[in-house]
Amino acid sequence: MQNNHHKERLYKILVIGDLGVGKTSIIKRYVHHNFSPNYRATIGVDFALKVLTWDQETVRLQLWDIAGQERFGNMTRVYYREAMGAFIVFDVTRPASFEAVTKWKEDLDSKLTLANGKNVATVLLANKCDQGQEVLTNNGIKMDQFCQENGFVGWFQTSAKENINIDEAANCLVKHIIASENDMLQSEVPDTINPQLEKEKRGTCSSCFRSQ
Amino acid sequence: MERLDDLRVEVARQREMKWLDMFCHWDKWVKHRFQKVKLRCRKGIPSSLRSKAWQLLSDSQKLLEENPGKFEELEREPGEAKWLDIIEKDLHRQFPFHEMFAARGGHGQQDLYRILKAYTVYRPDEGYCQAQAPVAAVLLMHMPAEQAFWCLVQICEKYLPGYYSAGLEAIQLDGEIFFSLLRRTCPMAYRHLKKFKIDPILYMTEWFMCIFSRTLPWASVLRVWDMFFCEGVKIIFRVGLVLLKQMLGSVEKLRELQGMYETMERLRNISPDTIREDVLVFENGRVCVLTFIMNLTLYLQSVFFLFFFCTVRFMRASNGTETMPV
Repeated sequence: MQNNHHKERLYKILVIGDLGVGKTSIIKRYVHHNFSPNYRATIGVDFALKVLTWDQETVRLQLWDIAGQERFGNMTRVYYREAMGAFIVFDVTRPASFEAVTKWKEDLDSKLTLANGKNVATVLLANKCDQGQEVLTNNGIKMDQFCQENGFVGWFQTSAKENINIDEAANCLVKHIIASENDMLQSEVPDTINPQLEKEKRGTCSSCFRSQ
Repeated sequence: MERLDDLRVEVARQREMKWLDMFCHWDKWVKHRFQKVKLRCRKGIPSSLRSKAWQLLSDSQKLLEENPGKFEELEREPGEAKWLDIIEKDLHRQFPFHEMFAARGGHGQQDLYRILKAYTVYRPDEGYCQAQAPVAAVLLMHMPAEQAFWCLVQICEKYLPGYYSAGLEAIQLDGEIFFSLLRRTCPMAYRHLKKFKIDPILYMTEWFMCIFSRTLPWASVLRVWDMFFCEGVKIIFRVGLVLLKQMLGSVEKLRELQGMYETMERLRNISPDTIREDVLVFENGRVCVLTFIMNLTLYLQSVFFLFFFCTVRFMRASNGTETMPV
């Protein structure tokens, strides 16, 4: 962990939200730079990998594309494990998918926390903004307020179809993930020894040599 | 070459004749010569007779005959908005490149809507699960909507009870069972998955719930379904175990999979070549199709496997839902 400057960073990022809001499309746009109206419905979970250069470091993002139907929520505990960040996506043309955002956020926060007990960085995506129906998000101040109240680090109007704001949203998330990671590293006091009493594991004299 | 083609046509015709003969005395065949029926399903049902065979094997034809007019009745019901909404969103997302389902609002998508909706009316407590759509679509590729509906009912209630229910407990339990079977059948793959903390539900959910319809090359999908309709869910377990063995069963194969992501990538996108290698055996310049499942069947027929399988499935049957013969 000391060799921060040359290490590769690998982050697991979740993409969640109601079904049909465009999670798969966002990932395909971000990773493969294309869009198709013919993606299959995701069943269970799918994966994609994006490699970025960030401050001369290589950052690998492992994107987890999670099925949107409610009943797959029974498996989310396994999907969420060890994630460092998340996108919660809704469809601007469907108010119900926005109402589900808080439900997804609660599910996420209840099942996943960082080592320091904090929630993972989460960015809200208002997708399909190319459809000209962004009544929901016209009021930017209200959206900012919503993000603040619900613990999102930011929000973006996106369109996977027209490639609007996808890279920007991802950069925002990565920035916050790195910040929270640094935060955690700093909270650990370096170069300290934590002596512990382990009655069970008292070794023989020769084990002193083995351990170094 | 011409003679070879003639020979193949002749073999295909003989197979069809055998199946037609079985259709004439179906109950007797199932009752007294089931082993032979099973063997013929493993060899692959002739495509011209597949539709009828699936309906007989699953008993869905009987269900249809016992419930005349029921499907129409279900169709007339308005259905629950929350299910219809989800079903509509999924219609254009099933086999989007298949000619039957490619056109928005085309007859394939219409039929899909009809049977998925009818099922939510038929079993309002179960509703609709997204994994039912590909299964229903495969059925519709073979038979009219009413027949496909009763076949779907049999899959959801007799073959895979609980797989599509709200809590998805059955599929998660089968994931655990599958993983314990892997431990015994292919310890190397088991250790690899364990090492990278790859939980079974990360890869087997889609395999099992969609009965490999989105996973394998099409010819293999049909062969798997032929056996599945005859022998039930154990076929799904076996195919899954063979796939894992193929992909993770040797040191060389694992060498390139040095991480969780690489492994998942391999399991999610099974290259047809890795399967074809084992599926096809070249013999005297003539391609002899030998399904990898056949190898698997021999491989897995150890007493222990059957014993373990029976025990666990029996434990599950305590819910009163399990009826599949093992």
